[in-house]
Amino acid sequence: MADDRTFLMGKFPAVLPGGLRYARNHMWCRLEGGRGRFGFTSYAIRLMQDVYFLDWQVNTGDRIDLLQQIGHIETSKAVSDLFAPLAGTIVAFNAELLKDPSGINVDGYGTGWLFDLECAGETLWSVEEYEQFLADNWEKTQRLIKGKINTEE
Amino acid sequence: MSRQRLTVVLSQSQGKNPTRRALEESIVAALIMEPGLDVSIVPYLYDLDKEHTGRLFLESIQGDMVVLAWMFPRAAFWLLDRDGIKGHYGENKITAPPEVDEDEDGGEPEPPKGIGAVDVPDRHIYCLDLRDHNNYETYVEEVRRIAAECRERRETQLKSWVQGNPTVVQLGRYLREEEPAKPQPAFPSEQLLKQPDRRWYPVIDYSRCTNCMECLDFCLFGVYGVDKLDRLLVENQDNCKRGCPACSRVCPEHAIMFPDYKTPAIAGAPVGNISGLKIDLSKLFGGGDALAIAAQERDRELVADGRGAVGMLVGIPKRQVDKPPEPKDDLDKLMDALDDLEI
Repeated sequence: MADDRTFLMGKFPAVLPGGLRYARNHMWCRLEGGRGRFGFTSYAIRLMQDVYFLDWQVNTGDRIDLLQQIGHIETSKAVSDLFAPLAGTIVAFNAELLKDPSGINVDGYGTGWLFDLECAGETLWSVEEYEQFLADNWEKTQRLIKGKINTEE
Repeated sequence: MSRQRLTVVLSQSQGKNPTRRALEESIVAALIMEPGLDVSIVPYLYDLDKEHTGRLFLESIQGDMVVLAWMFPRAAFWLLDRDGIKGHYGENKITAPPEVDEDEDGGEPEPPKGIGAVDVPDRHIYCLDLRDHNNYETYVEEVRRIAAECRERRETQLKSWVQGNPTVVQLGRYLREEEPAKPQPAFPSEQLLKQPDRRWYPVIDYSRCTNCMECLDFCLFGVYGVDKLDRLLVENQDNCKRGCPACSRVCPEHAIMFPDYKTPAIAGAPVGNISGLKIDLSKLFGGGDALAIAAQERDRELVADGRGAVGMLVGIPKRQVDKPPEPKDDLDKLMDALDDLEI
């Protein structure tokens, strides 16, 4: 199993566990059989900070397409629509989070998981690939954070 | 003296939400008891067209004013500016100030570089967002504080004129205050509160607008134009397509607001500081980029009008912000030399 990696966001170390796979929308995936459990990476959580509200627009059993909009999140720092990391069928949502979404902040790689998806996981990245993706986009991401969302190419 | 009084206008929410109505009523009931205030109620600010009595009333107000409305203060302030109800921006103390995030190494936000408003009279307009708090006392306290601040400002001004050498303009203004106040036209309350139809149009924050005209190039519905000074103007407000915020996404300075839009950044939330504004991370989490979304939204409206979709082919700015600087050529050097002459 690959080692854990740490990506430095300014001074903040975002830990990326080596045993997980990653999607480009900053979700991690724990693959078992034909099923993946997904959650936010510590990188995503650091950008959003305290989660106030989480809402899903699809139901258990629904078939979703890659990058289909599936929900919405509001945090102390950000709002965002949420999109499917892969095509597949939703098996379950983490019901605890719908009662109290701050579980995402408490244990993002564990009890703060988001949903289980029946999917093929071949296209997901390894931890090294995800770390490289973060490094390549860090400049651009910082610009986005500083409110210059529309000035990017 | 009417000019010594502070005018407070409460703009009602759309619809009949009982919680909102209750807050409005408690605030007005408390403010009416305060000395030195003129309190009035008008319908939802954004919906008032130029014929509406509420709008005529707002236009007739002289001197400092407080406007309480169900929208971001920045949106309310520039909405009034568009309606010709102008003044200096009065900073309120009850909208949560942008937090300072110590471990962000972003530094100070850049000051806005907009073209600013024109013909701004010597008065302040304070806008309070009724969504900020649900207890009426907070608003009453803040109005008291603003009333004191305005009184103090006038007194300081007056002292400086008395002690110094007033310019003719200042003197004129002071003397004019001594004239008997013009009788205010009467605004019967049933006309004042007549519920207007819903409207939808962009509001420009001229403290941010740089007159780059990208919105004018982008919008294919003729909403934008320019005024006599060649400044960008929302010329045909009601040509705008209900629910469509596309031009706001195209604006590089976040100067275009739609006060009723669901995303705070578009509805006029404070800009410039990461913490003050909830950033939209949708793009990072797999959504399309702002320009692509804007083009999609525009296409939807074009098709609804029976016109053809144009996608990204028309009016999409070709930005060069991220272009690396190229070595200067002879023309650049010539231009630099001209700049140095400071003509």
